[in-house]
Amino acid sequence: MDVKLPQLAEGVEGGTVVNILVAEGQEIQKDQAIMELETQKAVGSIPAPSTGVVTKIHVNQGMEVSVGQVLISIESSGAAAGATAKPAQTPAASSAAPSVDSPSRPSPEATAPPSQAADGYRYESKSGAPPPASPSIRKVARDLGIDLTRVKGSEAGGRINLADVRAYIQWLQEIAGQGTAAAAAAQSGAATPATPSQVVDFSQWGPVRREKMSPLRRTVSRRMVESWTTIPKINQLDDADITALLALRKKHAATFAKKGAHLTVTSFLLLVLGRTLKKHPRANSSLDDSSLEIVYKDYCHIGVAVDTEGGLIVPILRNVDQKNLLQLSQELDSLAEKTRQRKIAIEELQGGTFTISNQGSIGGSHFTPIIYAPQVAILGVGQGRAQPVAVDGKIAIRTILPLCLAYDHRVLDGADAVRFLKDVIAGLESFDEADLKLK
Amino acid sequence: MEPITTEIVVVGAGPGGYAAAFYAADNGKKVALVEQNPRLGGICLNVGCIPSKALLHATEIFREVKESTSRGIEFSEPKVELEKLRAWKESILEKLGQGITGLAKQRGVQVVHGRGHFEDSQTLRVETREGQKFIRYEKAVIAVGSKPAMPSAFDLGNPRIMTSTEALELPDIPPDLLVVGGGYIGMELGTVYAALGSHVVVLEALPSILTGVDADLVRPVARAAQKAFKEIRVNTKVLKMATAGKQIKVTMETDKQPREELYDRVLVSVGRAPNLADLGLENTKVTKDDKGFIHCNAQQQTEDPNIYAIGDVNGGALLAHRATKEGRIAVEAMLGEASSFDNVVIPAVVYTDPEVAWCGLTENQAKEKGIDVRIAKFLWGASGRALTLDRPDGMTKLIIEPETERILGMGIVGVSAGDLISEGVLAVEMGATSRDLADSVHPHPTLSETLMEAAESFYGTATHALSRRSPSPK
Repeated sequence: MDVKLPQLAEGVEGGTVVNILVAEGQEIQKDQAIMELETQKAVGSIPAPSTGVVTKIHVNQGMEVSVGQVLISIESSGAAAGATAKPAQTPAASSAAPSVDSPSRPSPEATAPPSQAADGYRYESKSGAPPPASPSIRKVARDLGIDLTRVKGSEAGGRINLADVRAYIQWLQEIAGQGTAAAAAAQSGAATPATPSQVVDFSQWGPVRREKMSPLRRTVSRRMVESWTTIPKINQLDDADITALLALRKKHAATFAKKGAHLTVTSFLLLVLGRTLKKHPRANSSLDDSSLEIVYKDYCHIGVAVDTEGGLIVPILRNVDQKNLLQLSQELDSLAEKTRQRKIAIEELQGGTFTISNQGSIGGSHFTPIIYAPQVAILGVGQGRAQPVAVDGKIAIRTILPLCLAYDHRVLDGADAVRFLKDVIAGLESFDEADLKLK
Repeated sequence: MEPITTEIVVVGAGPGGYAAAFYAADNGKKVALVEQNPRLGGICLNVGCIPSKALLHATEIFREVKESTSRGIEFSEPKVELEKLRAWKESILEKLGQGITGLAKQRGVQVVHGRGHFEDSQTLRVETREGQKFIRYEKAVIAVGSKPAMPSAFDLGNPRIMTSTEALELPDIPPDLLVVGGGYIGMELGTVYAALGSHVVVLEALPSILTGVDADLVRPVARAAQKAFKEIRVNTKVLKMATAGKQIKVTMETDKQPREELYDRVLVSVGRAPNLADLGLENTKVTKDDKGFIHCNAQQQTEDPNIYAIGDVNGGALLAHRATKEGRIAVEAMLGEASSFDNVVIPAVVYTDPEVAWCGLTENQAKEKGIDVRIAKFLWGASGRALTLDRPDGMTKLIIEPETERILGMGIVGVSAGDLISEGVLAVEMGATSRDLADSVHPHPTLSETLMEAAESFYGTATHALSRRSPSPK
């Protein structure tokens, strides 16, 4: 049987093989670690799904592998022996009603979903105790971001073992697979089917160097194609005069610094956007294609694009509309730092309702960002620059911040976008100093 | 002077602090460990667990000698040489302290002796003998522990009124000793002094000693203490203490009945308070709860993202092994691991005679929370090992979830309960069922069999207990 790389966590598409722990011809036990894999988030080991002999290793150390890729092949004797050993029990009966006490688990290779694949399973205990699982299993679950109350334990007393966790992950993967397959099928009807671009031999024109796309680069790439091909996007450009805002920042920066917070244009933008999104809930919504509904969110979680050594990562600031400028500045600092150190948890990248992409610290004027689906709008922010502008009929030098609101025309119309952006600009241009007072 | 720069500074070298420092160093971090006491090891090693257990062990012999008579072996009256006893105890502390210093050195942990004071969220000032030193750090761990509480009404500046710290120094053997507070510290030290020959009276303001512990676990301890001590007086409050020559005059009140008595020494053991005064926390974002303990999350991180707190400073159960575990969690959190104080089972041991130990859910907690549990008990009177030790005064009980038979907690009273409880910790942590424990073979004759028999008694089939299953008709 072929052992494939399972889905390790949501959003993790694969990783790098850092260590192969078995050799061809070696006899291995079920749950024995066969290799170590480094993903965007962590190094984890891949356990053997069954006992047997390794017949072939398909990957090398340092190789990038994706979910579903065959890692090794095992000739397993255990499964067959087990089947003949228990002739009395019909397979139908055992799979139809697996008893809680039954120690035998369906092999992860089995095509039928594991018994726990029943939707909406939740461990509940009258005593309020957490699901029974050993400390090592709890650690695995924490590392992979798995909620153990969702995993049905197969051992006595409902105790969860590693096979249960693996079966649960497999089930998640299947569900996810069905979802994307359905989406692809729906798309292919209308749009041109996606064909891989033709392989071009660039070396015929000069020397080249090839570098594997990192897992992160692949995620960015996939998300961008998804957004570009599915969202009819409009770019609304405008400018904000932030001369007064910068004066306020200068006046209060030291007080904020004492609290360990950097007062940045992004922090001001977050405060203004939190309020503006409350006023324009449609910009904070999502489109549910399947039910043809617009989903309005009562929460306001804003993603902030962070440039890291590995590429773009967008961590989410939660409940922006409920926080003051100091809280936003502090959280932004710590979140950006965590992101740059790649210590951000996957959950911290999920659930955003709107995104800011601020290139100002690097440079750049107007640019048209791509919407981060399933959000419906994103604000692209350029560098604030001193420019001559007409103020009361006279030329004055003011600091002008270039803004671009890119929005999904399926949900927002041009007039909505203009009104939204005007409110953002007004919020920046007449920023209330009271919001800078520390309580 | 050039400040010391380090990735992690740990303030306090107790079992939480030094364990955290070592673990961080083992993970490649540059670590500084700040300790005001010349000897590392904290309360636990210097004025807590270790010296008290040394004294308890040494004085146990008095009881043995007395009881031995009934077994046909007689000794002459034992004599105490306090100075030798003190020196022996001190030698243990010195050995362990040096051990920790050696381990720190071997790991390249920089030990700075002095009192730490936070200047801001990234700077610690240390007052050392050589003057002030500044440590610039990325992350800090507060592990400064706690100290015995001394209510100001009792704080007369008279050395005859002691806390556990002074009592462990064994200044003398007072003819009459009053212990104020019947918690575990008062009961343990009371046991030491009673064995050495003091007439010990224990006062407890509440209706029972060892408040909070399940009543059936306390009962054998109370029975033994009533024999060993002159008296245990519950529902009693101290109103006043005053110096009376070489004695202390204590005014107390039991059920509204006041009385006055003279004691040669008084041990005040009414709780412990965190050592957070003058630590400079006001210069950081660290916050405290209304009892003055530090507030932190499941990763041990305080409101100040750069500062973690572990052990006694966080309140709750003030136990060395909890501090050690929290230290590891804090370090793992700093390393970016998905670590968390997630349903960690923290066992508790009271070193009275007999010992009491428990872990996980207790019967009291189940009652308070209205959780439906089944209790399975095994009394040590039926244990061969307990009888050969002449210590049948014990009991092992399991707290079991009825539907799943999962072991939620364990409680033991009896000799060596503290060593036996670890199996309970493993059972609860592993989500073991009563059946798992009953089916695991335990060696005979040992006290550990009582755990297996308690599990069997859940099914009514404990070999050495009366069966709850009726005999089948012939």
